[in-house]
Amino acid sequence: MNIAAKRGWCFLISAILLIPGIVFLIIAPGLNPGIDFTGGSTMTVKFADPTEQQAIRTSLESLNVSDATVQNFGENTFFIRTKELSESEKDDLLSKLENDVSPNGYDVLSFDIVSPLVAQETIVAAFWALFAASIGIFFYVWWAFRNIPKPFRYGTAAIIALLHDAGVIIGIFAILGVVADVEVNTMFLIALLTVIGYSVNDTIVVFDRVRENIISAPNRSLEANVNLSIGETIGRSINTSLTLLLTLMALMLFGGPTLKSFLLVLIIGVLVGTYSSIAVATQIVVAWEKQDFPKIFSKITRRRLPASE
Amino acid sequence: MRRYVVTILVITALIVISGLTLGFQNIRLGGFERGSDNPLGLQLGLDLQGGSHLVYQTSLEDALGERIQPTEDQMDSLRRIIDRRVNETGLGEPVIQLLGEDRLLVQLPGVSDPARAKTIIGETARLEFKHRQIDVSVPVELDSSSITNAYIGEFPETVMDEEGEVVEISENPLADLPTSSTEMEQIVATSTDDTLVTDSLNEAIETEAETDSSESSNFQEISFLVIELDDEAAETFDLVIRRMIESTLAYASGLKSQYTVNRLQVSISGGNEVRTVELPLQLVARVPDTNMFAMALITGIGQPIAPSIDKTNQLFGPDIEFELVEIIGAIDEDVGLTGDDLSRAYAGTHQTTGAPIVNIEFNAQGAKRFGELTRDLLNTDDRLAIFLDEEELIAPGVNQVITGGSAYIEGRDFTPDRVRDISQLLEAGRLPIPIELIQERDVDAILGADSLKKSVLAGAIGLLLVIIFMILYYRIPGLIAGITLILYASFLITVFKLIPVTLTLSGVSAAILSVGMAVDANILIFERMKDELRSGRTLLTSINVGFNRAWPAIRDGNVSTLITCVILFWFADTLGASIVQGFAATLAIGVLISMFSAITISRTFLRLVATLAIARRTDWFVPVGKKFLPKNDG
Repeated sequence: MNIAAKRGWCFLISAILLIPGIVFLIIAPGLNPGIDFTGGSTMTVKFADPTEQQAIRTSLESLNVSDATVQNFGENTFFIRTKELSESEKDDLLSKLENDVSPNGYDVLSFDIVSPLVAQETIVAAFWALFAASIGIFFYVWWAFRNIPKPFRYGTAAIIALLHDAGVIIGIFAILGVVADVEVNTMFLIALLTVIGYSVNDTIVVFDRVRENIISAPNRSLEANVNLSIGETIGRSINTSLTLLLTLMALMLFGGPTLKSFLLVLIIGVLVGTYSSIAVATQIVVAWEKQDFPKIFSKITRRRLPASE
Repeated sequence: MRRYVVTILVITALIVISGLTLGFQNIRLGGFERGSDNPLGLQLGLDLQGGSHLVYQTSLEDALGERIQPTEDQMDSLRRIIDRRVNETGLGEPVIQLLGEDRLLVQLPGVSDPARAKTIIGETARLEFKHRQIDVSVPVELDSSSITNAYIGEFPETVMDEEGEVVEISENPLADLPTSSTEMEQIVATSTDDTLVTDSLNEAIETEAETDSSESSNFQEISFLVIELDDEAAETFDLVIRRMIESTLAYASGLKSQYTVNRLQVSISGGNEVRTVELPLQLVARVPDTNMFAMALITGIGQPIAPSIDKTNQLFGPDIEFELVEIIGAIDEDVGLTGDDLSRAYAGTHQTTGAPIVNIEFNAQGAKRFGELTRDLLNTDDRLAIFLDEEELIAPGVNQVITGGSAYIEGRDFTPDRVRDISQLLEAGRLPIPIELIQERDVDAILGADSLKKSVLAGAIGLLLVIIFMILYYRIPGLIAGITLILYASFLITVFKLIPVTLTLSGVSAAILSVGMAVDANILIFERMKDELRSGRTLLTSINVGFNRAWPAIRDGNVSTLITCVILFWFADTLGASIVQGFAATLAIGVLISMFSAITISRTFLRLVATLAIARRTDWFVPVGKKFLPKNDG
């Protein structure tokens, strides 16, 4: 199995995975931020009388809460997102809904308020957390691979794989945000950070084999050592991701609706994380060794040169 | 081999500890107490048991509207005050803690609609300064038409009803009058609630009915004022009596200091004489089942208005008139002076006498109002009543007009401890800094319980699927991995209970993820073992080499996860995002235990199995589909 020789294909697949997400992220509206990132109120309300999204929307509009979004959670339970509500505004809204759509009452299953102040901090903190985690992991990998040549490259490759995985997930949620109104919230952030942890863990297992093979056969080419290592770890990679996916699927099927998008991130993350260890992290190390990127760069510039003449 | 024995003993000990920890709902060993009423005695977060999560931000601004960072002292006193306020509401077991430098977290487990708590927390001032008016006279409004009958003299045995029929009155509610003021005080002192007051009166009446009336009290000759009222007026008069009961009780139970008890002032006039008595509760009563009220015309210390009925009649002549005035012991009038107006309260000593005093300082607006209040109070019996949470704290008098805004309170019974307590309570009546609610998360208890049930079910199913997969694929090592995983799960829960870690929905997810990491460690080891077996080594050697080879990957992978956890925990701490924090803490604990269980427990079990007869079947120790094993036992 000579994956290293097909690294061009690997990078192409990653590009195909990343580009649609990036496109959706850049064109409006991109990610659909939840109140954790924008501020506002959300509530999950179970109505006693059967009702519909539209009826709730109409009722809210007559109360001048027109920018509200309403989602159906099933079992006559609705998720209503509005601007930041005060205690009295919340009471008004609920009694209005009771009047209009559910005279037999309702249960507020959950209620959240986040002020824009907190929301902004969350975004900043999330960015810094991602940054700090990357730096920490980079230095650890650099240190852990100090016994083989150019350990710096392994640290960098691990971080690129990590950003790759985060990028794929953010991209998928940018698409889901546009097509299915899926929101990103604090739980999404936790899931993303978990995926990063898993991705690095998985990358390190493959790197560990590369490290071992380089130490035992320093004269073999890096390409050959990488191929050997991937071949030796592929069984473990598949089995580990399979067991994780089994657990996550069980959670997805039997767990509550609150965790659905959280689990979706983890499932995508396990798949992408496993893929990126083999096809991104290790291939970057090979490409670096083979000076692929300067070659591609010079090819592009050489092609351009005649045109400019 | 000795090493294995020690390891096995350690593992056995851990299993026993874990079993005992999880077997008992609540654990109590000396000062060490753990456990709760939740499943396995775990501590559940608000998202699993329902409740409210409130985050407050201080909003302190300087004169230019710029934000000022509160001091540590201010934050600490803020926390203590809110702690006290929330605890008073009796809403479950609140958790109140500071977040970062200028935030406060209030968690109310089991409360899904914390409207009441929010109101109480947000109130800036709960300290009130009131003008206590002493002995306010309010005439009892009874116009002559509402008095159907009135009489002064002996207590009547019969009375005419509306149809002119003679009706016998069997009971004189005041028949067993206390003969001295001490006796009267005893009745009051033994009365702890209003039923008892009535009871003791009723009891007195009953005793009277049983004994010969001639043997009754010394006041047999005393004059009674007996009035009969129409229904409406009877109700009015009942209210007067009720207020007397309330104030008497408040006095008796020591709730109010320097309290003046409500009284009924009765003025009798006739001829050229006017006599006024003030009757305490014990000398006023309604005749049961009638609209008649009896008042014994004696003073509180047992002096009759006139020594006998004859004397009374002589004194006032035939045209006797009476007037009733309710004397309200104390009325607390709101003057709009609150904790908002107080800038400081602190204990000190008097400059000249050295007696302990409480110093109070008002802000500009407060000083103005306080000045007006002291002017009103000066040279009266009225008092400055200070209330904290509607409970009287202290009610000093005023001996000079204070316009500067700073005053001191002195008292005969003041000790250094007492003045310190009072000044702390005064400080507690106002929030040191204004706050605003910036985040709220309410979860219904039913939703929480549902999430818990589903997560536990999903976790159990996930664990079972993984164990089945491991056994099917890795055979005997897979079985050992399965046993290790179950031990891992119980150790994890044991640690959660012992630390204790509050389990949240994200924590449950982290725990399940750490199960995945634990499985990964086992898979890494088994794959390595398989390679070693393939290259022709013995089972025991393969186990040892497999573990040693897998270790760097397990270590580096887990360390990088731990790095992520530490960073998450750190960010969550500054953010106040307790869900993120719970996740990071749970994942870190899970990773540490999974490293231990994979390396120590799995290895020891595998080595044990390798010494058994089953070890001859090396093909049971490698994954399915791996055929080319050299025979190393033949």
